[in-house]
Amino acid sequence: MSEFRAVVAHEILANRRSRAPQLLIGVFVGMVAVSAVIGWITTNTVSGVYDQIRANGLTSQPNPFTDVSVLYYARNTIIYVVLVGSLMAIALGVESALRDRKAATADLVLSRPVHPRVLLGGRVGGLATVLGLIVGSGTLVSWISLSLVQGASLSVPLTARLLAFGILTWAFLVGFAAAGVLSGLYLRRETTALLAPFVGWAILAFVLPQLGTALLNPVAQVPRTSGIFHILSYLTNPLSVTEQFKAVSSSLLEGPPGPSPFPAVALIVAFSAAMTIAMLATPLRRIRGGIDV
Amino acid sequence: MSSGTIFARKELVDLRRDRVVLLLLGCLALAIIVSVTVASLDFRAQLADYHAYVQQLIESGSTVTPTVPRLFPLQLLRAGIEYLEIIGALFAIIIGYATIARERSRGTLELLMTREVGRFSFAGGKLMGIGAFWLIVVMGLSLVATATMAVVGTAHISPGDLVRVGIAGVFAWLYLMFWSGLALALTGWFKRPTTALIVALVLWLIFVLIVPQIGDTMDPDNQVPGGLFAALQIQKSDELAVLAHFARFDSLRNGLEVSSISKLYERITFAFLGIKDKYNQQSLAFVWADMYHYVIAVFAMTTAAMGLALASGNRRSILRKAS
Repeated sequence: MSEFRAVVAHEILANRRSRAPQLLIGVFVGMVAVSAVIGWITTNTVSGVYDQIRANGLTSQPNPFTDVSVLYYARNTIIYVVLVGSLMAIALGVESALRDRKAATADLVLSRPVHPRVLLGGRVGGLATVLGLIVGSGTLVSWISLSLVQGASLSVPLTARLLAFGILTWAFLVGFAAAGVLSGLYLRRETTALLAPFVGWAILAFVLPQLGTALLNPVAQVPRTSGIFHILSYLTNPLSVTEQFKAVSSSLLEGPPGPSPFPAVALIVAFSAAMTIAMLATPLRRIRGGIDV
Repeated sequence: MSSGTIFARKELVDLRRDRVVLLLLGCLALAIIVSVTVASLDFRAQLADYHAYVQQLIESGSTVTPTVPRLFPLQLLRAGIEYLEIIGALFAIIIGYATIARERSRGTLELLMTREVGRFSFAGGKLMGIGAFWLIVVMGLSLVATATMAVVGTAHISPGDLVRVGIAGVFAWLYLMFWSGLALALTGWFKRPTTALIVALVLWLIFVLIVPQIGDTMDPDNQVPGGLFAALQIQKSDELAVLAHFARFDSLRNGLEVSSISKLYERITFAFLGIKDKYNQQSLAFVWADMYHYVIAVFAMTTAAMGLALASGNRRSILRKAS
C-alpha cells in the first residue's frame, strides 16, 4: 500500500512540475470561470431581444428567458469539458506515461519489489487525484461566478446539481486520461503517442455524431427525422460518449428534460472503467524501455 | 538546383513515405465522402417524403401544390467543409510540426546544415514542400467530393459549380498552410518538440473551437433549437429591425468570430459555395463584394504564419535549439 501511495504522490508532484499540460489546465479553468459570465451576458441580451420582439408586436408569447435557473448560465461549461477538458486529460495521461519511458524510471522502480499493477494503478490514481483537484477548482470557480451573477449564494439543491455535474465530469475525464496513458505506453514514437488519442477524440467528438460544428452549440439541435439521419443517430449515439455526456450534463444543469440519464451515465462510467482496466492490463515489456522522439 | 528546392523535394518525399500522414489523410477523405453521401441520402429522403405528401394531397382531392425540394449540389459539401475546418487544421498542425521534429529526432538537422545553405532556405524549402503537398491533397479532396456529389448525389455539376469548388479549394489551401506554417514556426522556436506541439494544439483549440463556440452561443438566434426567429415565424426584415437595437452586442460577437481564421474560412467558403442561404445562386461578384475583407484577412494571417515560420526556422535558430 505504501508503494501505491508513493506512486500517487510522485504522479501528483510530476504533474505539478510539468509545464506544457499546465497550459491546457489554465485554458480549461479559465474557460470554466468565464463561462458563467458569457452565459449571463448572452441570456440577458436574448431576453432583451425577446422583449423587443414582443414590443414590436411580433409575438404575444411570454418571454421564456426571464425565469431560467442560474445554472443555465453555466451550460457552456459542458462544451468546454468536451473540448478542452478531454484534451487536457489526454495530454496529462500521455505525458505521465512518456515521462517514465523517456527517463527509464519504470525499469528502476520495477527492479524493486513493486508489482506492475501497483505502478500503473498508482499512476491512474495520481492522475485521478490531479483531475479531481482541477475539476474541484473548476466547480468552485463556477459556484462563485454563478453566486456573483445571481447576487446571492447558490441554494443547496442547485449546489448539489453542480456537484453532481462535477463528479460526472471527473469520471468522464479519468477515461480520457487513462486512454492517454494507454497511448503513451503502447506507441513507439512520442509524437504518435500524443497525436493518436487526439485524432481518436476528434473522430469521437465530431465525425461519429455526424454533427460537424453543431457540437459547438450547447443548445440541442432539432432531431432529424428523415431516414438516414435517424438510422445514423440510432447507430452512433450510444457509442458517442461525448454526446451522451452532453445530454446528461444538460439535464443536470437544468437544461431541457430528457430521457432517463442512467444509460448515458452507465456508458460514461463503462468507458472510463474500460480504459482503466485496459491500462492496468498492460504487459510488463510495454512498461519498460525507452521511446523515440 | 537551389538548396530550398532540394529541401522542398525532400519534404515531399518524406511526406509521401510517412504512413501516419497517409492514414490521417485517408481518414479525412473518408469523412468527407461519408458526409456528402449522408447529405445526398438525406435529400433523397426529403424528396421521397415530398412525393408521398403530394400523393396524399391528390388522394384527398386537394388542389394545393407544395414547393418541390430543390437540390443545390454544393450545399452537400457543408459537413465536409466543417471537417476540413476542424480535423484538417489538426492534421495541418501535425504535418507542420513533424517537418522539423522529424529531422531533429533522426539527427539529420546538423548533417543538413553542414552544407552551404541560405539563411531561409531550410524553412523556405520546407514550406514549399508542404505547400506542394497541400495543393495535391486539396485537389484530391475536391475531386473526391465532386465525384461523390455526382455519383451518390446524382447531382448535375455545372462548370460554374466547378469554379466555385476551385475557389473553395484555394481557401482550403491557404487555411491549411496557415496551420502548418504556425506549427513549423512553433517547432522551430521551442527547444522541446512536445512543448511546441502542445502550444500549437492549444492555439488550435482556442481559434478553431473555443472562439467560434463563444460566437455561436452568443448568437440570439442560436438560443432555441431550430432558431429563435424561425420558431416565432418572424420575417427576415422584422428580425433585422429587432437586432438593430442590439448593434453593440452583435459587433462584439462578430468581432470575436472574425478573430478566428477558422470562422473566416468558414464564412468565405460557405458564401462562395452558396451553403449560406443569403449567397445561394448569387453571382461571384455579389459574394466577393461581401467577402473581400475576410479574404484579405485570411491572406494576411497566412502570410504572417509563413513569415513566422521563416523567421523561427532559419539556420541559426534551429541549430541553436537543436543543440
